[in-house]
Amino acid sequence: MIRETLALTKRELLRLGRNPQAIVTSLLLPILYLVLFGQAFNFGNLFGGDSAAFVPFVRGAPTYFSYFSAGMAGFVAVTATLFIGANVIFDKLFGILKRIASTPASAASIFGSRLIAGSIQPIGLAFLVLGLAYALGHLGLSGLQVTAAIGPVAAVQIVLAVVILSVMFAALFLAIGFSIEQPQTYFAVVNAINLPVLLTSAALYPWGILPGWFKTLASYNPITLAVEVIRLDLFAGAPQYYPESAWVYLLGLLGWAAAMILIATLLARRALAPRQ
Amino acid sequence: MDPRPASAGAIVTRDLVKTYNGTVRAVRGVSFEVPPGEVYGFLGPNGAGKTTTVSMLTAGLEATSGTAVVDGIDVRKNPATVKRRIGVVFQESTADGDLTGRENLELAAALYGVPRSEVRGRVDGLLERMQIGDAADRLAKTYSGGMRRRLELAAGIVHAPRTLFLDEPTLGLDPQGRAGFWKYVLELRHEHQMTVFVTTHYLEEADGMCDQIAIIDHGAIVASGRPSELKDRLGGDIVTVRPVASSPALREVLAKIPGVVSVGEQDGSLRLKCSNGEALIPAIVSAAVGAGVGLQGVSLKRPSLDEVFLEFTGREFREDEGFSATDRAVMVGRVRERFGGRR
Ligand SMILES: Nc1ncnc2c1ncn2[C@@H]1O[C@H](COP(=O)(O)OP(=O)(O)O)[C@@H](O)[C@H]1O
Ligand SMILES: [Mg+2]
Repeated sequence: MIRETLALTKRELLRLGRNPQAIVTSLLLPILYLVLFGQAFNFGNLFGGDSAAFVPFVRGAPTYFSYFSAGMAGFVAVTATLFIGANVIFDKLFGILKRIASTPASAASIFGSRLIAGSIQPIGLAFLVLGLAYALGHLGLSGLQVTAAIGPVAAVQIVLAVVILSVMFAALFLAIGFSIEQPQTYFAVVNAINLPVLLTSAALYPWGILPGWFKTLASYNPITLAVEVIRLDLFAGAPQYYPESAWVYLLGLLGWAAAMILIATLLARRALAPRQ
Repeated sequence: MDPRPASAGAIVTRDLVKTYNGTVRAVRGVSFEVPPGEVYGFLGPNGAGKTTTVSMLTAGLEATSGTAVVDGIDVRKNPATVKRRIGVVFQESTADGDLTGRENLELAAALYGVPRSEVRGRVDGLLERMQIGDAADRLAKTYSGGMRRRLELAAGIVHAPRTLFLDEPTLGLDPQGRAGFWKYVLELRHEHQMTVFVTTHYLEEADGMCDQIAIIDHGAIVASGRPSELKDRLGGDIVTVRPVASSPALREVLAKIPGVVSVGEQDGSLRLKCSNGEALIPAIVSAAVGAGVGLQGVSLKRPSLDEVFLEFTGREFREDEGFSATDRAVMVGRVRERFGGRR
């Protein structure tokens, strides 16, 4: 079981590594957001250039851009996990999944290997996005300003947030990949999910300007849960604006991930069982 | 219930049925038994139900009813155990194009639980044997059709299975490629006493390579046995005698030779149906000499599987008949060649 999973994970990683265009594609959107969208919404200007006045609207972040960068680190988990689901479809089309399913490898290791391989790259990319947002500040643009001292606990929380979010979305896209046959259908479904998930999260909007019902909606969104953990830990002023500790958000996120893994496992098992 | 059947066949099926979506009766109750160590061929035109049968035997597809036992294990009850013991080469190409040949085999070895210490030796040995050693570290999507097929065969036997299933393994290969592929299969069979179940819609392949064959048409086995037996069942050989000049006396004399079943006339030649044509030729020649009739020639034709197929189905066998999974596989192959890089 462990050996199968490792061998299959290696296969997925080799193949992701040999098709680096997926990395480029998944970074494209978040980078556009960082260098255009995030730069344009210079909300500090609303207050005559006094960005401190905007701090309460972005839950204690020093600037809108800093707040927004954490959101992008969450969003990249969505754009980068999408490929692992698409790969399932291509593996079906090319008979590769059929061959793997004809071996004694268990459904759990076939699914598990893809979940592992599919999460590694998004995790790396999320930190790359944060690094890039930080670097932009040194290039004369708006950049991510970290105002809190990041201790080991905060570091662990940030890593957990990114990891669990990536695993959750990898599971979601695997679930879709295992239950759909055609690439067109897959991309249609994925597009129908991506934007609504992003737009119902607090990744982009200043929290303080949201209507009450939207806050309620957004606070259950998995991207929000992960992104708020990052914000809580990156910004010194943040904690006073959050009703819960970062662990509570992480717990909620874990719930999402567990549910998604469960659903995806069932769908994968069904797809890999002898056909009817 | 004891999953082990009374008979010791390597593959035993009884009344195996597959009905897709409750309407498409792809396999309509096939029963057969493959003795251990034999090459058993399933010969039939496209859409006959060959792939459906293989899929049920290899635990890829649930049977609608009936039993299938492979290597003593009931496939429907213990699919996981069966998968461990068999090797499968699918009709369509399933080599992993983004992995090298070597990586393909190493992955298969890991999935089939080949002991770690043996992986390297077996993989190297197979690469060498299948003549892909030089290309071992190239991505499989750069392989030719024949190399891919040999790689898939290697992946199917890397764990030295006791039973090997090949679904139209030589589809799309040129005659040389087909001959090469069969050479490896037959060698392996002899070395490992492996039982081989192979489907094909090439008559000469079924005839020349298989110990036993079953002819399947519209989901049912219409005839089965050793290729020579099947041909014998047609009433034996055809000996054609060409006299210098037409002679009714010759016809009478020949009809009296013991072993000659019937004598027909066609374009001035006499066609003798007989059980063992070769042994009768001397008697035929001396009878003609005795009757004072000069001969231009005598020829012997053993009936071919075409005629067997015609006899049992009432139709001509056409190797390129219809449009089915086979054609799809060929097309997928072409698509892979063109778009192999974009995955
Ligand atoms: N998944 C499927 N759903 C419905 N019909 C199918 C399916 N697969 C095969 N068939 C039909 O079952 C019959 C047998 O197909 P198949 O076993 O692929 O034949 P062969 O391998 O001998 O060419 C054909 O009529 C085919 O169209
Ligand atoms: Mg077929």
